[in-house]
Amino acid sequence: MTVSVQEVPGVGSEEPVHQEPTGFWRRYIFSVDHKMIGRQYLLLSAAMALVGGFLAYGLRWQLAFPDTWVPGLGFIGPETYNVLITMHGTTMVFFVAMPMLLGGFGNFLIPLMIGARDMAFPRLNMLSFWTIFTGSLVLLASYVVPGGAAAGGWTGYAPLSARPIYTGVNWGLNLWLLAHAIEFASFLMGGVNFLTTAMTMRAPGMTFFRLPLIVWQELTAAVVFLLSVGPLIAGAVMLLMDRIAGTSFFVPAGGGDPLLWQHLFWFFGHPEVYVVLLPAAGLACEVLPVFCRKPLFGYRWIVYSTFAAGILSFIVWAHHMFVSGMDPRLAMPFSITTILISVPFAIMVFAMIATLWGGSIRFATPMLFALGFLAMFICGGLTGIFNGSAPANIPLHGTYFIVAHFHYTLLSGVFFGGFAGLYFWFPKMFGRMLNERLGKVHFWLTLIAFNATFFPMHFLGLAGMVRRISNPLQYPSLEPLQAVNVFITLSAIGLILAQVPFAFNIVRSLRAGEPAPANPWEATTLEWSTASPPPHDNWGETAPAVYRWAYEYSSPDAGEDWLPQDRLLALKP
Amino acid sequence: MSSDKAHAAEISLERAHPSYVGIWVWLVLLMVAGVLASRLPLDHSAVVTLIFAIAAVKAGLVALYYMGLRFERGVIYAMALVPLALVVMLTFLLLPDFVFHHH
Amino acid sequence: MEAIATLPGAAAAHRGKVGIWWFLASEIMVFGGLIASYIISRMGGPGWEAEAHHLSVPLASLNTLILLTSSLTMVLACAAAERRDLGGVRTYLLCTIVLGLAFLGIKAFEYSGKIAAGILPGSAPFWSFYYTMTGLHGLHVLAGIVVNTLFFLGAAKVVRHPHRVEMGGLYWHFVDVVWIFLFPLLYLA
Repeated sequence: MTVSVQEVPGVGSEEPVHQEPTGFWRRYIFSVDHKMIGRQYLLLSAAMALVGGFLAYGLRWQLAFPDTWVPGLGFIGPETYNVLITMHGTTMVFFVAMPMLLGGFGNFLIPLMIGARDMAFPRLNMLSFWTIFTGSLVLLASYVVPGGAAAGGWTGYAPLSARPIYTGVNWGLNLWLLAHAIEFASFLMGGVNFLTTAMTMRAPGMTFFRLPLIVWQELTAAVVFLLSVGPLIAGAVMLLMDRIAGTSFFVPAGGGDPLLWQHLFWFFGHPEVYVVLLPAAGLACEVLPVFCRKPLFGYRWIVYSTFAAGILSFIVWAHHMFVSGMDPRLAMPFSITTILISVPFAIMVFAMIATLWGGSIRFATPMLFALGFLAMFICGGLTGIFNGSAPANIPLHGTYFIVAHFHYTLLSGVFFGGFAGLYFWFPKMFGRMLNERLGKVHFWLTLIAFNATFFPMHFLGLAGMVRRISNPLQYPSLEPLQAVNVFITLSAIGLILAQVPFAFNIVRSLRAGEPAPANPWEATTLEWSTASPPPHDNWGETAPAVYRWAYEYSSPDAGEDWLPQDRLLALKP
Repeated sequence: MSSDKAHAAEISLERAHPSYVGIWVWLVLLMVAGVLASRLPLDHSAVVTLIFAIAAVKAGLVALYYMGLRFERGVIYAMALVPLALVVMLTFLLLPDFVFHHH
Repeated sequence: MEAIATLPGAAAAHRGKVGIWWFLASEIMVFGGLIASYIISRMGGPGWEAEAHHLSVPLASLNTLILLTSSLTMVLACAAAERRDLGGVRTYLLCTIVLGLAFLGIKAFEYSGKIAAGILPGSAPFWSFYYTMTGLHGLHVLAGIVVNTLFFLGAAKVVRHPHRVEMGGLYWHFVDVVWIFLFPLLYLA
């Protein structure tokens, strides 16, 4: 006789998961509660954002005013510049973007949005946070070891990274590799948790196609990360062996090939950018319908596009390598796949625009940031089409055009999508409302400073300014462009300062903000059916049951212009 | 009625399984076959194909019977097979740069 | 006749199994990445067979036999746990642990022999891959031994929650499958 263990929706959510903690340590530090862990991830990403932002300030000052004394850093030589650019990229991608978008929002939202009481593996969840916390410490430690922090670029290309003598950095780069390994482990744990939870613990009636879109995006990001990081872990082990065990996997002098590192890195590196982007797009997709009072247009199409993007992301990676010396016969196939991957994202963008069309728009701060995501992402996506085509890539690779492209695509996600999410869910997370006026000031300053910083970079790139040089004035052809560099640096400083109203808003609202009701935005997803902040077990006595999809706005069946997922309508006589 | 169901569920916790020792015998035989195959005076690529086919069968036996894939639903199969497909794809796409030396 | 398991432990068992399989999917990519790199590097570089001849096929065959048998004892331990057979669980787990240690012991013997002969990871590309692949695999074996030891020490609990040792079993079999491929890749090809 066989046993068939069915996914019985609701079985998970009815099981007592863990006791309400007492005492400071269990409640705030070693918590197994997904809501607290989500907040911890957000705090970590905020702290590391300060580090990453400071590095950006330093490298931008050096570029604008080369070989002058940088306030707070001193004189920056080429080696130090390499450290700044390396650590800025590494910190921002792996210790800011991912903890915020996946660890923070994913952890906080997924159980609430599916009607569960916690994640499938709460203790593994706690371990995942403390793992990345340790990884952050390892990364920060690399600044103070002899030889300084990693200076091989955030991509760690061999052979520069493969022999300590080439960068002059020994322990710093080893710790850099170790920090990556640790944070990979952390996100693997998190990914396992997200996927298992969504597969097995949805509330009664919460079928897959009733999930809010952000959940789909988080799950796809988890799968994409899970399946793409392996070869880079293998490569990182090989690189570490090159550095400390005398092997030559990536060093030509010993029979190795630097190209192998690039392939292994980008096999992960490209899917990774979608791991960052998809949740951010999901955050914006959640906010738009609420503030248009209209259902999300093309929900299923966005889900299918998400799958398509996830799948295609595995076969586009060599567009980072068109000029690397890779076999030129690979250029065309990868150009084609790269152009193809713009299609699902175009569908998403069109669906978001169609959601707005005819909507009754409320311009609250979360909505402003969601609209900002849409606009900035379109810009970034458009330049991606140029970069992805091999012939166009040849003059553009390694220039500031690329820097502009990825900041438009990544920061549209992390900044605009992330802030949309923060302003939207802050009441739910902390039980307080944020100040609307400060929020709007934050938005406009950020939007203007962001574009002032990164838009001119397109022209710098087209004019031939290459990346990773510490002193543009060393190149006579770049001297006429220096005014642009100064403008960008001043705008970048403005962008950093533009975050002050946000920080002030957070701190003040946490202490003295208006207490938040359960559903201040009149939204339909499950997390708004419970208190702000939710009780320890999320739902109290009875977990919700779900009767409809997540975007029932302006439905003729309801008295108001919104209908929650868990409200049973009275049967009409 | 409900106690019958509970009882049935209780005793059925011990899932039907194949002869684990029987599978082990096959694994050992296949291992020996693989070692012997590597000594055969055949063309090198034929030998390589043979020993990896044997390895694939061994892996399949362990996966299907020891890891229980035989009794699982499609999504678990996908979790095993999709990564394999990706690894195969990666290997193929690396061939031009490292095997079919174009330079 | 099928029984739908709705006992309270069943949901946890199901979650655990799903979780472990996701983890194994990511591990397939790790070893797969390493193996793919080895395959293309070897196909693209001459003279690797000559280096490989320094390896001892009989010793590795013994190790393969050891690991295969440890998979048998592991799955028997899981079956014993389902039967609530405490003695069986202890016995078979202990066998698995001992066999795992034997595997590592032979590996250590192999390594020390090579190092004494002056064959180091940096000696040739083949050896770089050999040490890295078997080293990473060995670390995974060690982790499995640690987990199995924890199960052995807490066997009474294991018998109450058999799905836990089943999760450990899935991991252990995976480590065995990786070796099933490493053996021909490094020793036989």
